[in-house]
Amino acid sequence: MSFKGGTSSEGSTDSAATKKSSKKPKYSKFTQQELPACKPILTPGWVITTFIAVGIVFIPIGLASLFASEHVVEIVHRYDEDCVPSDYSDNALAYIQSTETNKTCKRSITVPKQMKSPVYIYYELDNFYQNHRRYVKSRSDKQLRSKASESDTKDCDPEAVSKNGPIVPCGLIAWSLFNDTYRFSVNNSILEVSKKEIAWKSDQQYKFGSDVYPKNFQSEGLIGGAKLNESIPLSEQVDLIVWMRTAALPTFRKLYGKIEVDLEANDEISVVIQNNYNTYSFDGKKKLVLSTTSWIGGKNDFLGVAYLTVGGLCLFLAISFMLIYVFKPR
Amino acid sequence: MASKRPLLIPSPRTPSTLEYPSLPTFADLLKPVPEDLNSVSTMDSNNNPIENQQNSEHPFHSSSRGSISSLQSRNSGSGNSIREVPIKFGSKGAESDGLGLSQKEINDEDARLIYINDPAKTNERFEFSGNSIRTAKYSFITFLPRNLFEQFHRVAYIYFLVIAILNQLPQLAVFGRGASVLPLAFVLSVTAIKDAYEDYRRHRADRIENNRLAWVLADNQFQQKKWKDIRVGEVIKIASNETLPCDLVLLSTSDSTGVAYVQTINLDGESNLKTRYAKQETLSKVPEKDKISGVIKCEKPNRNIYGFMANMEVDGKRVSLGPTNIILRGCELKNTGWAIGVAVYAGRETKAMLNNSGAPSKRSRLENQMNRETIILSMFLVILCTIVSVCAAVWLKRFADYLTIIQFYHKKDYSETPVEDYNYYGWGLEIFFTFLMSVIVFQIMIPISLYISMELVRVGQAYFMIRDARMYDESSNSRFQCRALNINEDLGQIRYVFSDKTGTLTENKMEFQCASIWGTDYSSGKSSSQDNQVGCSSQDNGTVLRPKVVVRTDPELQRLLRSEKETEKGKNIHNFFLALAACNTIVPLTKDTSDPSVKLIDYQGESPDEQALVYAAATYGFMLIERTSGHIIIDVQGHIQRYDVLGLHEFDSDRKRMSVILGCPDQTVKLFVKGADTSMFNVIDKSLNLDVINATESHLYKYSSTGLRTLVIGMRELSDSEFQIWQSAYEHATTALYGRAGLLRKVAYSVESNLSILGASAIEDKLQLGVPEAIEALRVAGIKVWVLTGDKQETAISIGYSSKLLTSKMKQIIINNNSMESCRRSLEDAKNLCKKFQTTSSITQNGEGSSGTTRTPIALIIDGTSLVYILDSELEEPLFELACECSVVLCCRVAPLQKAGIVALVKNRTDDMTLAIGDGANDVSMIQMADVGIGISGQEGRQAVMASDFAMGQFRFLVTLLLVHGHWNYQRMAYMILYNFYRNAVFVLVLFWYTLFTCFTLTTAVTEWSSMLYSVIYTSLPTIVVAILDKDLSRRTLLRYPPLYGAGQREEKYNLTLFWITMLDTLWQSIAAFFIPLLAYWKSTIDISSLGDLWTLAVVILVNLHLAMDVIRWTWITHATIWGSIVATFLAVMVIDAIPSLFGYWAIFNAAGTAAFWLCLLVIIVAALLPRFAVKFCFEYFRPSDIQIAREAEKFGDVTQLGGAEIELNQMQESTQQVAR
Repeated sequence: MSFKGGTSSEGSTDSAATKKSSKKPKYSKFTQQELPACKPILTPGWVITTFIAVGIVFIPIGLASLFASEHVVEIVHRYDEDCVPSDYSDNALAYIQSTETNKTCKRSITVPKQMKSPVYIYYELDNFYQNHRRYVKSRSDKQLRSKASESDTKDCDPEAVSKNGPIVPCGLIAWSLFNDTYRFSVNNSILEVSKKEIAWKSDQQYKFGSDVYPKNFQSEGLIGGAKLNESIPLSEQVDLIVWMRTAALPTFRKLYGKIEVDLEANDEISVVIQNNYNTYSFDGKKKLVLSTTSWIGGKNDFLGVAYLTVGGLCLFLAISFMLIYVFKPR
Repeated sequence: MASKRPLLIPSPRTPSTLEYPSLPTFADLLKPVPEDLNSVSTMDSNNNPIENQQNSEHPFHSSSRGSISSLQSRNSGSGNSIREVPIKFGSKGAESDGLGLSQKEINDEDARLIYINDPAKTNERFEFSGNSIRTAKYSFITFLPRNLFEQFHRVAYIYFLVIAILNQLPQLAVFGRGASVLPLAFVLSVTAIKDAYEDYRRHRADRIENNRLAWVLADNQFQQKKWKDIRVGEVIKIASNETLPCDLVLLSTSDSTGVAYVQTINLDGESNLKTRYAKQETLSKVPEKDKISGVIKCEKPNRNIYGFMANMEVDGKRVSLGPTNIILRGCELKNTGWAIGVAVYAGRETKAMLNNSGAPSKRSRLENQMNRETIILSMFLVILCTIVSVCAAVWLKRFADYLTIIQFYHKKDYSETPVEDYNYYGWGLEIFFTFLMSVIVFQIMIPISLYISMELVRVGQAYFMIRDARMYDESSNSRFQCRALNINEDLGQIRYVFSDKTGTLTENKMEFQCASIWGTDYSSGKSSSQDNQVGCSSQDNGTVLRPKVVVRTDPELQRLLRSEKETEKGKNIHNFFLALAACNTIVPLTKDTSDPSVKLIDYQGESPDEQALVYAAATYGFMLIERTSGHIIIDVQGHIQRYDVLGLHEFDSDRKRMSVILGCPDQTVKLFVKGADTSMFNVIDKSLNLDVINATESHLYKYSSTGLRTLVIGMRELSDSEFQIWQSAYEHATTALYGRAGLLRKVAYSVESNLSILGASAIEDKLQLGVPEAIEALRVAGIKVWVLTGDKQETAISIGYSSKLLTSKMKQIIINNNSMESCRRSLEDAKNLCKKFQTTSSITQNGEGSSGTTRTPIALIIDGTSLVYILDSELEEPLFELACECSVVLCCRVAPLQKAGIVALVKNRTDDMTLAIGDGANDVSMIQMADVGIGISGQEGRQAVMASDFAMGQFRFLVTLLLVHGHWNYQRMAYMILYNFYRNAVFVLVLFWYTLFTCFTLTTAVTEWSSMLYSVIYTSLPTIVVAILDKDLSRRTLLRYPPLYGAGQREEKYNLTLFWITMLDTLWQSIAAFFIPLLAYWKSTIDISSLGDLWTLAVVILVNLHLAMDVIRWTWITHATIWGSIVATFLAVMVIDAIPSLFGYWAIFNAAGTAAFWLCLLVIIVAALLPRFAVKFCFEYFRPSDIQIAREAEKFGDVTQLGGAEIELNQMQESTQQVAR
């Protein structure tokens, strides 16, 4: 039973006698793997306590999330189909591609509940793969940032150069810039749409140069989307900046602007939409979204549900372990 | 070593062609070197005239040759990886076997010709290698290509290289080019730097070695020359205490008879002096004056350091050369003024260099199993990639129209009709590219970091094993050594231990214990060494001589020696000790002590048994003072007496005895014979003193049953006529040109007869400290201990008892057979017997209703002769089956290669891990054959250590090594491998899920830098640290409950089931980590980078917490690395997102500003780890493993509170109580 007895006792008594040449390993808690350590063990007490604690923390969080989500007022209005005139309803594509057709479309939305300012305006695109690999890569961050790298368009094909030189901003992302516009009015008074702070400050300051101006953009070939005012530097082109933050998922929203006044319940908002953007060719849906916000973000019940589920599950496990522990201990 | 040269001179009667090699006794029987086998057994044949008494070291019956050579040829034939240099084991032996000619012929094509002192001519035809050596592997130019070439022997590296290359193709570039090469470059450069440093050190050592100086004959005088410039054929002069620069054939020495003493410690580790001889024909020549010319024809370079075959033509005479005529590179010349020799092998062709292949590389079991899982993971990878490419194919087909509109693939322009393709390679190729791209994206499914982590972990584990104070051997001042770095974890899975006996279980320090003289047993020796100081010193010119070692003596025997000089009893005792002092080949060396008037006599000899006997004789007052080959001087109780050595018949394996014929001062001629009991009783005259013989026999039985090594001593007084007959026969034999060995043996046979018995000596081969406890602990741990020894059966069995290997409860089955048929029969009988034991014991078991652990243990004892018939025949299978039933197997009288054969017997038939432990050159083959080879750095030199994977000072450390370190290593490594698979798979799966939402185009939300850093920085350190430091159980617990070792044997910590469970868990965790954010952020403004950062952080925290959940011991280091890694990941993600030129600039800062981000993170982690936590708890609580129970016992201290665990623990306690007993 005591294998160590023989050696260790020898070692201690002889240690004085051993010469410098002794190779005896010096004792330290580290080399002998005896560092002080905490050895947690999953005892029923600990496990049940943990489960209950998780449950107690998660269920309130879930409830709070749900509550916050419930308080968000969100109006979603799909307009891509309705904005196609009836004579084009069989051929929406032709309608949208034609330069002659009238793209203006008037819609009206009823506010279901009071919406405190700021009211965020989003456009929502469905089935639009902004995360397609070719699409994501088709941009030139260098070109966007500084005037000097204007001709750095190597990743931008097929929207890299025009007859007059490099396209600024180049690439498919910029080329396909969303170009529907909305004008809002309530009770015949126009609602101002503010574009302040809809893009990330960091993007405006560092990613998009204040000395870079659009050039040769949408000048020839197939026009993908919006045109840019060539007298405004890229750092001020907030819609472009928002668009260039490519969405992670195929159904996404992009911030269009903010309405800085409160909207009262049952207000009729009339929206004049310039329905320019072609989503008809890939069955993409276009929606206009007006939404308030809360600490949890927009309207989203999922997190609350997830927290409640996990919390509930933990409580359930805690109770079942407790029952097993009481009735059938090992 | 000694201050004075010993005076051993061959007697004038002995022609100098008669070699005086070592005179081995039983101890030597145990240690021939495996390579020696064929050549030596060839020399055994009687018609071979070449004098080669080296064969006396050969312990095999000639009948064993067949099986041995076949074993060897099998080894060499299958390209055995153990040996790097190909050696022809069989060819040479078989060849000369067939020839059996009077002159040993070396085939011209197999020979090299050396013209003495004519290096130009020697090297003219053959380009013999120069003497410069190169142990370094690389030069400046070759370093990069060769090192890379060697590194890419790892298949995994090639895989990563291919992927890095694929990523360089513009069509496939998923990651930035730099980022994709980085991990591989990192791994390669770390290894390369390590190799470069090691090689630099070797270069430096080589340079020093090559620039040493030696005296070389040139222009008729000896000039200093650098070692590296020495060429084959040159004549070299070596001074005393100098090291030999190359292999030399001795021409002459400072000794007039051509004797040179060498120490071979650098070669085989044996510290005693060996004698080498110059041939008479060249002895007298002075190289400076008379031009020596001659031709040496010798065999091609080989690595057999105990064999050499050559002949030399000098002055028209042809003389043959053997292993005693050559001194090898690395030896040191001792006690010899100078020696002159001709270089025959130089540089890398020297035997020392040929033997210089480091430890063989083995692969651990875990790593082999890991390959299986790696293949499964590769299949996963292929499946994932196939899914992606099939989906992509369908997508491309279905939405072919969209391609133009979104302009991903075609540039469509309504103004110009033709559609311009943009990097679109057609449907088929696009799919193919998608497949390759997905391989690149999912590459870390096969964890590259695992390989480097494993190396680091093993280094760490080795560090702790080396630094373990409990595996430090005080007596030899040696630490544990890790010579192989890749099989640490195998130590935790050993099922079979094959142990050598002498030097491993025992100390191999022979100690004279007792004697039976003239039928009286003197074994009550209790007196301390103080009392007999008087009797064992000798006055010589005012100086006192004392033997270096004093043995304890029997007071009765002392008294008899002093008082009863004239009685018959006294005379016999006198003769007995005279025989001990004279009948040997020990060389006494005197050594100065601090006191100038006292000198110590150190007895040098090759056999520790003989040394022990001579020391014993000296202690009893028969001190051997001087030995030349013509006479010996013995101080007999204060009177210095001179005895003429008239003849000496050396030990050989046929006779198993040696004899010496002495001309005594009283003008009588006496023959003293000493040998093994079996051979001695054949030549003892049974008509004389029958009662003495019977008494001696019973004493012998008593001695050997207590584990002592016995020798029987007999004598005869030769009458004048007898002496005359013998002398003429002896002279005829020694001067005979042909068949000298055979003639000498015949002479010996004829004279060694009708002896009267003097008595028997018993020498104790002491058990090492802690051996019985260690064996018991190993047995309790479920490890089968087999002892393979060269000792005879009785000794082996008695050592078996004293070492607790055998117990009285055991049933012994002994197999001793002389033919194949009888072997077969006894094996069958033994098997039936086994079955009977088992059925009876199982019946009793059922009656008692206890578990199956209490069946009758059976011990199998089998001897080498039987093994000759069994190994390599169809009887192997029955033997194996039988051996499996037995709890102990003891093999005695086995040859080195049979040891390897037995290991192979087990290794080839089971998946169980085997471990061989031994200390001598005879264990080398077994050490290399076993999965794990351990060398004891003890008395017998370093051959075993050189061949071993691990080396340590004492057998008992094996317990600590296996039960503690082996257990830890296995647990740690097993967990680490599984964890690494999980860790990378979880990440890959998250990437995979995202692919399904990106039109299957392999966009990665996680930045490429994070993907690359994931397994390098984010998650690697914790697993390495945990795998080095975590301990499931304390050392104390593991030693107290050896059965805990079974976890490793049963592969509890790493098996396919665990792998699949882990993979299921992985799947769930990846789903939780991916889909929670996906659903939470669906229809939101989230951008790719923010979501990517969330996924990165979630996965990293997840895998680190997963690890944290399994950590058993939290030291500050563990805390620091796990939490540190998470913090480091946050920092890294922030740094990456703070670089404006990267795509995801500032994403993390924007995302982290929202509550949803943190809520997601929290719920992901809890949801992902929940199932694992619950299942882990259920298993640990409701179905605890032994380890779990022990852990809880360790923590709570009180066994009785453990409820259900009680029974199992009680069992363990029972078994440990056995250990204590």
